[in-house]
Amino acid sequence: MAWDLMFWILCFFIKIALVSSSFYQLLSLSDLESDHLNPFEASTRINSVVIPEFLLQGFLCALFLLTWHWFMFLLAVPLTVFHLMLYLNRKHLLDVTEIFRDLNNEKKYRFVKLGIYLLLFTLVLFRLLSAGIFFFFTSKLEELDIRSSLFY
Amino acid sequence: MGTENPGRPNFPMRPSSTPFASALPTMTPFSSRGPMVGSEASNIRPIPPGAPPTMTPFSSAGSSPPTRFSDPSVPSPPITSVPSAGGPFQQYPTPPFPSTVQTTPTRAPPVGQPPFQPPANQISAPPVSFRPQSQVPPVPMVSAPQTVNFPPSSLNVPQPPSESLFSGPRPNFQPTLPPPDLSYSTTKSTFQPPFPAYPSKQPAVSQVPSPFPAQQGSFMPPPPASSSPFSSQQGSYVPPPPIAAPLGYQSRDQMQHPGSAPPIGGIQTLTEDFSSLSLASMPGSIEPGLDYRTLPRPLDGDVEPSSFVEMYPMNCDPRYLRLTTSAIPNSQSLVSRWHLPLGAVVCPLAEAPEGEEVPVINFASTGIIRCRRCRTYVNPYVTFTDAGRKWRCNICSLLNDVPGEYFANLDATGRRIDLDQRPELIKGSVEFVAPTEYMVRPPMPPLYFFLIDVSISAVRSGMIEVVAQTVRSCLDELPGFPRTQIGFITFDSTIHFYNMKSSLMQPQMMVVSDLDDIFVPLPDDLLVNLSESRNVVETFLDSLPSMFQDNVNVESAFGPALKAAFMVMSQLGGKLLIFQNTLPSLGVGRLKLRGDDLRVYGTDKEHILRLPEDPFYKQMAADLTKYQIGVNVYAFSDKYTDIASLGTLAKYTGGQVYYYPSFQSGIHGEKLRHELARDLTRETAWEAVMRIRCGKGIRFTSYHGNFMLRSTDLLALPAVDCDKAYAMQLSLEETLLTTQTVYFQVALLYTASCGERRIRVHTAAAAIVTDLGEMYRQADTGAIVSLFCRLAIEKTLTNKLDDARNSLQVRIVKALREYRNLYAVQHRLGARMIYPESLKFLCLYGLALSKSVPLKGGYADAQLDERCAAGFTMMALPVKKLLKLLYPSLIRIDESLLKPSAQADDFKNIMKRLPLVAESLDSRGLYIYDDGFRFIIWFGRMLSPDIAGNLLGPDFAAELSRVTLHQHDNEMSRRLMGMLKKLRESDPSYYQLSYLVRQGEQPREGLLLLVNLLEDQMGGTSGYVDWIMQIHRQVQQNA
Repeated sequence: MAWDLMFWILCFFIKIALVSSSFYQLLSLSDLESDHLNPFEASTRINSVVIPEFLLQGFLCALFLLTWHWFMFLLAVPLTVFHLMLYLNRKHLLDVTEIFRDLNNEKKYRFVKLGIYLLLFTLVLFRLLSAGIFFFFTSKLEELDIRSSLFY
Repeated sequence: MGTENPGRPNFPMRPSSTPFASALPTMTPFSSRGPMVGSEASNIRPIPPGAPPTMTPFSSAGSSPPTRFSDPSVPSPPITSVPSAGGPFQQYPTPPFPSTVQTTPTRAPPVGQPPFQPPANQISAPPVSFRPQSQVPPVPMVSAPQTVNFPPSSLNVPQPPSESLFSGPRPNFQPTLPPPDLSYSTTKSTFQPPFPAYPSKQPAVSQVPSPFPAQQGSFMPPPPASSSPFSSQQGSYVPPPPIAAPLGYQSRDQMQHPGSAPPIGGIQTLTEDFSSLSLASMPGSIEPGLDYRTLPRPLDGDVEPSSFVEMYPMNCDPRYLRLTTSAIPNSQSLVSRWHLPLGAVVCPLAEAPEGEEVPVINFASTGIIRCRRCRTYVNPYVTFTDAGRKWRCNICSLLNDVPGEYFANLDATGRRIDLDQRPELIKGSVEFVAPTEYMVRPPMPPLYFFLIDVSISAVRSGMIEVVAQTVRSCLDELPGFPRTQIGFITFDSTIHFYNMKSSLMQPQMMVVSDLDDIFVPLPDDLLVNLSESRNVVETFLDSLPSMFQDNVNVESAFGPALKAAFMVMSQLGGKLLIFQNTLPSLGVGRLKLRGDDLRVYGTDKEHILRLPEDPFYKQMAADLTKYQIGVNVYAFSDKYTDIASLGTLAKYTGGQVYYYPSFQSGIHGEKLRHELARDLTRETAWEAVMRIRCGKGIRFTSYHGNFMLRSTDLLALPAVDCDKAYAMQLSLEETLLTTQTVYFQVALLYTASCGERRIRVHTAAAAIVTDLGEMYRQADTGAIVSLFCRLAIEKTLTNKLDDARNSLQVRIVKALREYRNLYAVQHRLGARMIYPESLKFLCLYGLALSKSVPLKGGYADAQLDERCAAGFTMMALPVKKLLKLLYPSLIRIDESLLKPSAQADDFKNIMKRLPLVAESLDSRGLYIYDDGFRFIIWFGRMLSPDIAGNLLGPDFAAELSRVTLHQHDNEMSRRLMGMLKKLRESDPSYYQLSYLVRQGEQPREGLLLLVNLLEDQMGGTSGYVDWIMQIHRQVQQNA
């Protein structure tokens, strides 16, 4: 049980990191748009977090699979595949020379991604809470535990 | 195509050419009547008014006729039923048989049939009568001067030439005689209802609302239902109206006719709206009814629209700023119906002719006057109020204070009394001297840095020698003396730095071979002040060719060398000239051979070939821009050098790409010498940024050209000069604009070579309109084509070539369709293709664009490198040069070479451009083909050996690919060289190398010249006529 709780806590922090990285990228883009940031700096900032974000997301996805959390895994896998595709096509980094031409698309893409992360984040949060509750009240709620494991 | 030959009163006679022509003559007799009514009457029996004459539509084109007839009563043009009244039909040619009135009612022949047939029956030998038209008693006609006016228009014939016949012949009919065979088709027209003078009909004529006055005029049927479209009838009925129907091709011509009836005036204005080409195919001919001779061609080169400057005389000259239309739409819906690009082409530093230089203004004490809110610079369109204490910004209408030192009283009309001393208030283009607020660092000195490939192929081609000599000869003319800085790096598999400290006797060379971790061996002295180290630099340039003449290194460490140059230059910025002869093969940024794969073409991967292969180049380009370094790439290789990757460096740093495939100093040396010299010595603006502002409600949204965007609307241009133009598109932010006028202001902030920081400001105003027609009327083909070109080239970077060409065509079709719809309801257009006069060359340039090097064909049609280089070049070309490249001039010169020398100075007359069709080439002639980048001199097969001998000297019989043109000691050769020199001087931005080719010398002739005759059909691409037909079909399809 303790493992379960720790697993969800880990997921929780990873999710927070992903959400904040996504948010940071969006912020940089809108700064760029309103001319608070020049394209060189904006692209450096954004590109520096892209790879860590991809790795983290991939790691999380793998974690879900290995721990047999099918539902979460299925939710996370499309985005991971998309990341992988971007990476293989070498399109994952912002092109500083054409950044203004791609600006709107990039923003849209990051908004969608932020949405997905937030969705996963709430689910993780929910799981974390229920895992915590289970952990502290295991003895009393054994049946529930069994039932809930079905969902995992 | 009326537009082309507006002025021609009389057309050359080509009697046999069109069936219609033949018809004309027949008509004429009637027309003459005007005055002669009486006489005619005698010939022809007057028909009772009630009896409608049956007119057969002459136009054999059953399909098209309806449109032409203005008379609504006639549903199907061809067939007009003759009323029972049985008005006697007169045969057209009737003059000979005046009495041949057919008493029996005759039905007009059904559409499909040749109309005249029925009557023919009645008249025993109609054809006969026609031929001998001379027989026709021309007498009446002759006497009547009006006959001339008669428009053959009734014929609908699209072909002007044929029609033209009339004008010539009018006085005497003979010329008009139709060839016998034609007679049938023509005969249709022959039947004329003989109503000598129908008073009632006259009014009808005047009423005709037809948009095409000329043609319609001729067609106008008399009001009565059965009226026939024959113009001839009208002529007969209405004495005065005949005038209305001049050849009709051009509306204007019509207008000018002296005799035109008053009602026509109204028609005239309508006709001015558009030009048209009628495309209906002629009866019985397979050929499309389109004569290539009559199609519009820009033989006068680019014509800048005059309306722009006329309406707002204080606007900057169009050489600096051209809008795609000088009528800005007032609503989103209007924008969406204008399918052409809406935007501008800006060439901020365009070369001004003597006497029109941009005035430089120094606001030392007051600071530069700008609007507080929108930062607009003071310009001729701002208004002063409040007795001169305030001024209103013309772009955002904010009321600003006038600084004390700038104050001047207003006169009675509200103008400042010191207006004539304030160029910024009367001129559209001015230059302000910028104070220190406009600098982030002290103005940089002009800086030239050379990165020269010295591998074996560079040595063998002789490139190094030419470059060294040229640079050395230009040292005195480099701008910015005495601050100019200069430096050199050479590279093969290692990188060579040169210490040129002024105290040294000769340069010290330092070799760095660690390519993975590039460092600069010396902190200073790699980049030196030219005036101080002049001797060292000269010594270096003198010894450079010999230093490497035995180099056998085949590698190229281009990437590391570029990085090294960047490190050296990053303190100051400047201009980096790269001379590259081999594919980069070592270190970072090495490139692979690609583009050989035929199979990639036509697939989704095709465009990747036109993109930089390694992200290193884009990143480098961004870094270079950031540090104010502009790159010009000179590429020389005979093999693939991946211009797509190398050119990226130039593209994002505001530079340009010069490509000399298979460079040999013996052949191409001259070209390189001139172009490099121009690059080094032309006036250059350093560390520049450019912004274009416009009035509220509209916004520039996309920018196209060689530069990098620094923020959403700020173009970073590390080095910019007069040969660069930038295009931008605008969009409406508000759904409806309420103002009358919109203003544009281009501001280029730069460091001049003299070390002054300056702001060049161009201001222009344009009217806001609510009418789509007006937008089309004020369109500027040059700017539109320029934008189209850039959009299409950008499209090739993400799509297939095919897609780029198609989308171009689709946009042209959409625009013409929209334009057609504007008039389709009001006027019957029939099979005529209509377009605004302002866009008459659009189709041709569209064709030229899809046949231009970056867009044409597929794998085999152009080398990948050539394609990319042309793409980079065309992205930066100013409008005039681009149009010249798209529709090059072809000039016949043998005659002028033979003429006595007195006329040699009559340059303009000699330079008569010919259409780019193979038929323009006469095998007895000598031609120059000039696209602004090269001359191709074509020797006809039957050119007199005299000329060839004089021009080529002893090798005139040799194969011309090995012959170079140089001056011989005779008058003719001198004159030719003089001519070439003048042509070159008229356009100095590139050097035109002469290529000689003899007719029939395959495949050279085909590659050099024939493939460039873009109006011809060539290897699966359509010719001009087909292209027009194709566009026309598409326009009509979904109309």
